[in-house]
Amino acid sequence: MAVKPRVPVREQPVEQRIHNFDSVPYGYSEEEAIAEAQRCIQCPDPTCEAGCPVNIKIKDMIRLIRERKFEESYRLVKKDNAFPACTGRVCPQEDQCEGVCILAKVGQPINIGKLEAFVADWAREHNVEEDKVSSSKPQKVAVIGSGPAGLACAAELRKFGYQVTMFETLHKPGGVLVYGIPNFRLPKEIVQHEIDYLEEIGVEIKLNITIGQNISFDELREQYDAIFLGTGAGAPQFMGIEGEKLNGVYSANEFLIRANLMKSYLFPEWDTPIVVGKKVGVIGAGNVAMDAARTALRLGAEEVSIIYRRTMEYSPARDEEIEHAREEGIIFRELINPVRIVDDGKGWVKGIEVVKMELGEKDSSGRPRPVPIKGSEYIIELDTVIEALGTVPNRLFLSRTPGLKTDKKGVIIVDDKLMTSIEGVFGGGDAISGAATVIKALGEGKRAAEFIRDYLESKK
Amino acid sequence: MAHKITRKMDLNKDDFYVEVEAPLVAERFKAGNFVILMTVPQGERIPMSIMKAEDGKIAMFIKKLGKTSRELYKSLDQFEHVIGPMGKPIEIKKYGTVVVASDLVCGHAENYAICKALKEAGNRVISFQTFPTKDDVYPEEVWTKEVCDEFHLTTEDGSMGEEGHYIDLLEEMLENGEKVDIVFAGGSLPNLKELGEMTKEYGIPTIVTVRQIMVDASGMCGACRVFIDGEMQLACIDGPMFDAHKVDWDAALRRPSMYQSKEAIALQKCIEAGRC
Repeated sequence: MAVKPRVPVREQPVEQRIHNFDSVPYGYSEEEAIAEAQRCIQCPDPTCEAGCPVNIKIKDMIRLIRERKFEESYRLVKKDNAFPACTGRVCPQEDQCEGVCILAKVGQPINIGKLEAFVADWAREHNVEEDKVSSSKPQKVAVIGSGPAGLACAAELRKFGYQVTMFETLHKPGGVLVYGIPNFRLPKEIVQHEIDYLEEIGVEIKLNITIGQNISFDELREQYDAIFLGTGAGAPQFMGIEGEKLNGVYSANEFLIRANLMKSYLFPEWDTPIVVGKKVGVIGAGNVAMDAARTALRLGAEEVSIIYRRTMEYSPARDEEIEHAREEGIIFRELINPVRIVDDGKGWVKGIEVVKMELGEKDSSGRPRPVPIKGSEYIIELDTVIEALGTVPNRLFLSRTPGLKTDKKGVIIVDDKLMTSIEGVFGGGDAISGAATVIKALGEGKRAAEFIRDYLESKK
Repeated sequence: MAHKITRKMDLNKDDFYVEVEAPLVAERFKAGNFVILMTVPQGERIPMSIMKAEDGKIAMFIKKLGKTSRELYKSLDQFEHVIGPMGKPIEIKKYGTVVVASDLVCGHAENYAICKALKEAGNRVISFQTFPTKDDVYPEEVWTKEVCDEFHLTTEDGSMGEEGHYIDLLEEMLENGEKVDIVFAGGSLPNLKELGEMTKEYGIPTIVTVRQIMVDASGMCGACRVFIDGEMQLACIDGPMFDAHKVDWDAALRRPSMYQSKEAIALQKCIEAGRC
């Protein structure tokens, strides 16, 4: 069976986009979306839907696009996922819906991500009015953290009719969608629009509030009938090698928070500075590493490289991000591992000493374990080092929450109904799983909302 | 959302006093906590020490340094955000005789807050406030005199109060046999390092503010990482006050200089716009 190739996604030309923070893909036009939707064979038993962590009715979403019923398509998606413009852009579709699309076996899968983003963008651009929340229940639920897990949980709980208050430590809601993922991948006005929807349906968002500092956890428990913890995994990890104390060493978190949340790329119109040298090395090869590398490039670095101890085929990053990074000239230095960061004698980074690696037996992640090759050390000249080694739960919240059980990494332990060791306190997202994806957090936030509903109804 | 400034006054030619409405911070503030300020929507998140918190307001001492502080001094009557209390408060208990010392703007604010809390906890509190010369000395109404048992105003050139830096005067006091159970201090980082070296010889626990650049100030970015006994800690959530005898001072002294060149650009632009 000959399958038509995907309708290509128009993108900002490389030469242009490496100098700005605007979205790389332009997104489908109506005609392009319809043409792409027409490739769908409308399987009787759609595997794509089973591959979706929030079980969007993908088949019908595509059918409605095909029938030019964009608004209906949007409303259908929004029932299962309150944040389609975001997930359409940041989900690892190749590991989910698109990965199990039947067409993937004989050609290219349907571009489900771009179609999802299309309907969401279409609705936003056409000011489609959101469905109202009709039911109202007296119970109050506190949602701690306004990242993907908290947003999804709050949206769902509000739709069930509960009174929802969401608390956020930072001065802007959105969690990683705002402080972590760069504008060129996820434009911030799109995130804001999807968060505005929550306020429209009556979710109260309280910013600049840290639980444990402004309100104690016990007070919160007295004031609310249930609590959802979507506190994420926001704390950076460092390699612990020599030279990390030097100026010019960033955690990817700091680098991205400066650039995204604080808009350092608009310095000095915005006040927060960021220092990017000429030669930047990013340690790690996940999505965050790609984001940091591409951000550094846009901030004017002359040479940006990814330093990875495996080969890129084992990178956990989305295919699209790796592809975009490659197109933009990011250098992939594979099979090397940093040993120490070299001092320029004035307290700044001058380079990084690395050791060559080879791939050995498979480890617990199913990927070959990188093994250092003795005596193969050499120095790469750099003036900025960004460590993107993954994140762990933030101990700020945990240290102020006595009685909450966690594992030794600080990951909150929950039962099969997502309830923590404290009755009426539920958890979801990276706070309970370590570090995962936006969509997994959204899915858990949504599931937790259902368990919270069951819990609240059982207490009546 | 914005926070109204209720009082601004000069402390000396470089430093000024700001009092701002911040009920959420004022309600929970404890000595050792700090706030994150954003002066304008496009502003930086900057950490600031608190002198006192009462009636839903907090008071701070701020130095006219870069764009943010100068624009605040000259052109603003409100803050976009005042976020806190952040950080870990000091342990407020009865230590016995406590020395609280400072030689710079934020340190003087901390001095006041710590003296007040520890005096209320039943300690005998000795406070040192050091300024370079008499021209730099703050107005008497913000001295720590009213919140301590024994007050020492000192100037380095001896033009007002006792002559010398608090480190030397404290050492003299210890030499003379004064029994001090613990020292709290804030201000100039190099001086805090030196203070630690001195008190270590006398075996006196010394807790100091290790002021670092912060961004989120909630444990997420790692900008304020300091090394305590070789372990990485974050000034924003584990501090900002640490045991002076355990701090890796070389790293702590280096990091605040990371953005100096950028800060000059921002200030220049603000001056040109007539706002600083």
